[in-house]
Amino acid sequence: MKSLHNKVLWPSLLAILLIWMGCEQQSEKPIISFFQFEKPPHFPEPTYTFRNNEVNEKGFNLGKMLFFDPSLSRDGSVACSSCHVQSHAFADTWLHPFSFGVEDREGKRNAPPLFNLAFHREFFWDGGVTHLDFAPILAFESEIEMDISFEDVVGRIQRNDAYKALFKEVFGIEEVTGPYVLHALSQFMLMMVSADSRYDQYILGDQQALSAVELEGLVLFRQHCESCHREPLFTDLSYRNNGVQRQISDLGRETITEVSEDRAKFKVPSLRNIEVTSPYMHNARFEGLLQVLNHYTQGVQDQENIDPLIFKDGKPVIQLSEDEKTKIIAFLKSLTDNNFLSNPIFFNSNDR
Amino acid sequence: MQNVKQIFSIITIVILSIVSYSCQDKEDPTLTTTGEMIVKFDNYVGNQTMVVDEVGSTNYRYTNNSGQKFNLTRFGYYISHIKLEGPNGELFIDEMNASADANQIKGYYQVVQGNSETYNIHLKGIPHGQYNKITFNLGVREDGIQEGAVGGILDRAAGGWFWNWNSGFINYIIEGHSDASLRDDNRVQIHIGGWKNIPSGDSTPQRFFDNNVDVSLPFDATVTVSNTLRPSPHIMMDLLKVIGDADLSTENNIHSPAAGKAFASKLAGAFVVDHTHQ
Ligand code: HEC
Ligand code: HEC
Repeated sequence: MKSLHNKVLWPSLLAILLIWMGCEQQSEKPIISFFQFEKPPHFPEPTYTFRNNEVNEKGFNLGKMLFFDPSLSRDGSVACSSCHVQSHAFADTWLHPFSFGVEDREGKRNAPPLFNLAFHREFFWDGGVTHLDFAPILAFESEIEMDISFEDVVGRIQRNDAYKALFKEVFGIEEVTGPYVLHALSQFMLMMVSADSRYDQYILGDQQALSAVELEGLVLFRQHCESCHREPLFTDLSYRNNGVQRQISDLGRETITEVSEDRAKFKVPSLRNIEVTSPYMHNARFEGLLQVLNHYTQGVQDQENIDPLIFKDGKPVIQLSEDEKTKIIAFLKSLTDNNFLSNPIFFNSNDR
Repeated sequence: MQNVKQIFSIITIVILSIVSYSCQDKEDPTLTTTGEMIVKFDNYVGNQTMVVDEVGSTNYRYTNNSGQKFNLTRFGYYISHIKLEGPNGELFIDEMNASADANQIKGYYQVVQGNSETYNIHLKGIPHGQYNKITFNLGVREDGIQEGAVGGILDRAAGGWFWNWNSGFINYIIEGHSDASLRDDNRVQIHIGGWKNIPSGDSTPQRFFDNNVDVSLPFDATVTVSNTLRPSPHIMMDLLKVIGDADLSTENNIHSPAAGKAFASKLAGAFVVDHTHQ
C-alpha cells in the first residue's frame, strides 16, 4: 500500500497541481521591463492604483509627448510643460507667479512642482482632485490653463495618425479614448520621483552627505516645521491655513468640503526642491526663503482658521533667531535633487 | 493489489479530467440555470412625458408646483449596483467593474433622455427563479471613482458627467431654461453629485456629502426568470418629485455636493415600478 502511494498517488497529485497551475498562469502576462516605478526604500507605500495602469517605457514616452504638446491647448499656445518646467522641479518659473494660460490669462494660484505624486492622495492646492489620473482633465479644461474640453483633446489626438499608432502600440486600442490619454500622462508623471537629494543620502546612511550647519538645520526643522512638512515627503498631506493671505480671497479647501472651518486652508506643500520653486505659497507671495521664515516668525497675524501651530495666544508660535533661520535655509537647500532636475528621461523629445 | 491500482488510476483520470474541464470552461458553466431581465426606465415630468429641447429653446413645456415654467435641454442619471430579490431567497447582484477599457465596464448604466437605447437595462446571468424587488444605487459610488481613469459611459471625453474640479460623477443631471431664472439665457442647471461623507465629530462639522441614493422598489407582481421567460419591469421616474417645489428663480445653478443635498434627499421618491411584463 505504501509503495502504491508513491507510485501512483504522488505523481498524479503532481500532475493535477501542474495542470491547475497551468490554467492559472494563462491570465498573467510576463513582466519583463527594466523601466518601472520604484518606491524609494525610505518612502511610504504609493497610493496610486498601479494595478490599473502599470508604468512601462512606451507608455511613459507617450505621456511625455502629450505633456510637451502645445497643440492640445485651445489655441495651440500652451503645453503642460509651459507651466511645469523640469529645472524648477516641474513648478512654474518665477517669471510667472500666477501661471499663464492661453491668451496669457493669469491664474490665481502658483503652479506647484510635480514629483512624488504617486504618494499623494489628493491634488491641487485645495485637494479637489482625488486621483492623479483626473488632474490633467482640470488642467486641460481650466479657462486659465489650456481652455479646451477634454473631449476636444481626445478628438485631436484621435485625428493624429502618429498618436493613434502609438496608443495602439502602448495600450492595444484601435480608437483613442479619454482614460488612455489620462493613463499615459499619469505614467509620465508617476516616474517623477524625487528621492535623491543629499538629505536622502544622509537618511539612507551616508553620514557625510550633510554638513554640520545643515545637520543643525535639520534638528531645527524637526522642532519647528516637521508637524506639517513631515518627512520623508515633507508634507503630511493635510490642509492648513498658515496665514499667507492678508485678506482671505481664496477660500481654498472650503470650496471642496463646503464648510467654513476649512476656509483659507491649503494643502501643505512638499519642501523638496524648494530652492528652485520660487515664488512660494499658493498666492506666490514670497520670492525668497528668508521671507518665508520671517512670515512664520513675525509676519503672520491672527485670522480665521489660522493653524494653532502657527499662531496662538496673540502671537506667532515659531520663534527663530537669525542664525537659526540661516541654518534651516541651509538644510532646506540640501533637499535639492539635482539628479531629478536634470534627469534626461524627462527631456522633451518631440520633433516640433 | 492489482485492483487497488486500477481504482487509483481511474480516480486519477477522473480527477484530471474534472480539473482540466474546469480550466477551460470558466465562461458559462451555468448555461442553463440563469436567464435575463430588461429593466425599462420611463422619465416623466408630472403626467407629461419627458422631452428634451435644443439649448436656447424658449418653449417652456413644463410647470412646477409654484407655476414657474421650464423646459429641459439635458436630463439623465447614472444607475449602478443593481440587485434583484425574490420571495424564496432568490438573489441576483449585478457584477461591478470600473476600467479604462469600455468593454470591461460592468454594472454602470447611464440613462440619457433623448437617447432611447439607454432607457433599457439588459441584465444577464440572473439565476432562474421568482423576483419581486429591485434595488439600485442612483449615482456612481467611490468604487467607480477611485480606480482612476475609466472608460465607456464614465469617460468624461465621451459624454460622462464628471466634475473636473471636485472629482466625482454627477449622479443626476438637470439642465434647461426657465423664465423664472434671471441667469444668462434663463439657464437652469441642477447637477447632483458627491460621493463621500466625512461625518461630523464632537467639534467638527460634516465635510463632503454623499449624494448617492439607494432606491429600493417592490414590483407590482412577482415575475419569473427562466429559460423561456424574460420579464421586464417598467420603472417610472417623475422629475417633479425632485424639483417640483424648487424655486427656479434662486435654485438654478446647483453644482456642488452640499448644494445638491436637498434635491438628493428627494430622488428615491421619484422612482416607482409602474408595472411588470412577464
Ligand atoms: C497655465 C499653466 C498650467 C498648465 C498649462 C498646466 N498646469 Fe498643472 N497646474 C497649474 C497650476 C496653477 C496648478 C495649481 C492649481 C490649483 O491648485 O488650483 C496646477 C496643478 C497641477 C497638478 C497638481 C499637483 C499637486 O501637487 O497637487 C498636476 C498633477 C498638474 N497640474 C498637471 C498638469 C498637466 C498634466 C498639464 C497638462 C495637461 C498641466 N498641469 C498644465 C498650472 C498649469
Ligand atoms: C501648521 C503647519 C505648518 C508649519 C508648522 C509650517 N508650515 Fe510651511 N506651509 C504650511 C502650509 C499650509 C503652506 C502652504 C500655504 C499656502 O500656500 O497657502 C506652507 C508653505 C511653506 C513654504 C512654501 C512652499 C511652496 O512650495 O510654496 C515653505 C518654504 C514653508 N512652508 C516652509 C516652512 C518652514 C521652514 C517651516 C518651519 C519653520 C514651516 N514651513 C512650518 C504649513 C506649515
